[in-house]
Amino acid sequence: MSLRRSAMLAAAGGALAAAAILVWKPTVLVYGVQRAGLYAAVAIPMALVLGIVHIVNLAHGELLMVAAYLTYFGATLLGVDPYVALAPTAVVMAALGLAIYNLAIKHTLKAPELNQLILTFGLGIALSQGVNLVFSSQSFKLSLGYVSASATIGDTSFGVYDFAFVAAAFAIGYGLRLFLTRTRFGKAALAVGQNPRGAAIVGIDVNRTYGIVFALAVALVGAVGSMFLTKQAIFPDVGGPYTMKSFCLVAMAGVGNITGIIYCSLVLGVAEAAINGLRGLRGWSDIVFFAIIVATILARSRAESRR
Amino acid sequence: MRKMLAVFACLALVALGGAAQGAIKLGANWPLADVSGLECQKAAQLAVDELNKAGGVLGRQLQLVVVDDEGKADKGVAAIEKLVTVDKADVLIGGIASGVALAQIPTLKKYGIVTVATGAAASATVEKALGPSPDSDFYFHLHPWDYNQGQSYADGWAAIQLKYPGLRVKKIFLAYEEGAFGKSSFDASKTIFGSKYDFDGASFKSALSGGSDYSGVLQAAKDFKPDLFLWAGYAQDALPLLEQSKALKFSPPVYLGAPPAWPVDFGKSPLAENVMLYGMWAPSINAISPVSRKFYDSYVKAYGGPPTSYFAALAYSAVNIVAEGIKRAGGLDKAKLIAALEATKYSSPLGETISFSPSNVIKHQGIRNQKILQWQNGSQEVIWPFEVQSKPLVFPFPAWK
Repeated sequence: MSLRRSAMLAAAGGALAAAAILVWKPTVLVYGVQRAGLYAAVAIPMALVLGIVHIVNLAHGELLMVAAYLTYFGATLLGVDPYVALAPTAVVMAALGLAIYNLAIKHTLKAPELNQLILTFGLGIALSQGVNLVFSSQSFKLSLGYVSASATIGDTSFGVYDFAFVAAAFAIGYGLRLFLTRTRFGKAALAVGQNPRGAAIVGIDVNRTYGIVFALAVALVGAVGSMFLTKQAIFPDVGGPYTMKSFCLVAMAGVGNITGIIYCSLVLGVAEAAINGLRGLRGWSDIVFFAIIVATILARSRAESRR
Repeated sequence: MRKMLAVFACLALVALGGAAQGAIKLGANWPLADVSGLECQKAAQLAVDELNKAGGVLGRQLQLVVVDDEGKADKGVAAIEKLVTVDKADVLIGGIASGVALAQIPTLKKYGIVTVATGAAASATVEKALGPSPDSDFYFHLHPWDYNQGQSYADGWAAIQLKYPGLRVKKIFLAYEEGAFGKSSFDASKTIFGSKYDFDGASFKSALSGGSDYSGVLQAAKDFKPDLFLWAGYAQDALPLLEQSKALKFSPPVYLGAPPAWPVDFGKSPLAENVMLYGMWAPSINAISPVSRKFYDSYVKAYGGPPTSYFAALAYSAVNIVAEGIKRAGGLDKAKLIAALEATKYSSPLGETISFSPSNVIKHQGIRNQKILQWQNGSQEVIWPFEVQSKPLVFPFPAWK
């Protein structure tokens, strides 16, 4: 079976499933797409780091949490909206990312992958415990009127604010794509990601590229962290589950496949929302999430082994 | 020889005298990374400082030794071992999570040191493991068991409906987080309310476990059209649940939350107005209880802000109950101390006098009632019991604008 035919079949299956869900419970599709937006927006920066720096950043969710705390205190102290605090937070997070890269990540690039995993895992624990020490486990949440924005179709009302995350996911995904394919630095970063030794031979500063890409990814996850604060209560462990989900999405989509992450997020988000719409099965959403990931990875491995 | 004996006798007397002047050690365990646990430590230390400033207990100073149980069963057991064998605690206090308390019980029974517990509500596990008298007589349980809480809610809602005839509760929907806390809340509520009310419920994934979408459970609740909507989750769920309820235009006549603690500044949100809650203590009790006022003022003065959960008041009460018990017992003799604690009549910051009487299983159960409160103008106001009511009930919960 050709790859194009498989893709067409998958698209047709997806369209059929979406139509069936629309007939069954239209809100499931709405909430599924919204979830997908959040998952993709968080996961794409992780894919960027994995695709170019070749590091699995297990502190990814914790960096999201740190950015949300920064935004909370910035917004509270200055009396501004989190969206106003988003850009300064991203800049601070970029500086933090650059510091983390130079102080820690850089020194493990040639070490075994396990060392890199342990390093970022430890960094994640240090960040969450550090925040816990300073702010305790008390949760913080901003009360923002626009978060409850809703639409009503017939008798059904549903929240529409979370479409902001869908917009963010597309903006980050396609923005990065443009950046990597249309700019000189982006092209250099892609070259470093594909062949660091070759890139170094042609004069690209690999270490500098890694540092900037890592800082860019942390800045992006920082910006998403600012948005995340508008929706959720924050506490020291809030980022952990997003590290896991982002890692799974990256694994499902394939290393560095940013567009793939958007599609995979859509499948997982809608599947989770569908499970949530079924009474008595709500506790199964995590199982379904991971079952779909395992099935996808197995199917892809089989397809690749046949090629 | 006689001189030597006299010298030894003098030395022994001096040594005994020195021991008699040593501090009375209260060993405690709480999860210190958790804000409720941290507040317990602060409130207990506040009580110890107040007692020491007033001359101590029987002329001896109190010393609080706290070990962080991290909310984990193994750490909780290790905490008891350390407090008893290394710190030589004379009395034990503390605890929040039922899982930690359950794991500690064999160790507590091994040492049999008098214990005043501030947490643990799970009767099916903790109370069962404690067992009946006399094996569990060393254990004084302050916090109500889950069935005590359920019964007090049932009594409270029955009384509220009598006093406010315009409020009629026939259908109750419980949205519960899918972990052990939520599931046990659902089971207990179903037992208590299932026979009297049209009762239904559904689970949601708490933000504490990585959840963020409550639309499924809220839609199920909206379809059920409950008179009373209750959610059992954590502080992290409080505002997002309200925000999504507003987005779904779901506004039941009674909107009630039952998290162990509320988020900082929850009361400042306009969405919080007229949300109801369960609890044991709130600053509004200051208006009717001088003990609560004293506790609140001292806490704010010492730590710069008020406690956010009722556990702080429980920890403060535990220290004072132990101190009064030691005074009545005239020392630390175990049998005398147990008898003295059995005679406790402590006017607590909770707005009620705490005494101990048998529960379904153990001999020494302290508090039995939770209170029904309501957020009004940013404060938690007591609605029931009516004898400690601080503001009249506002109902129905207003429709979303």
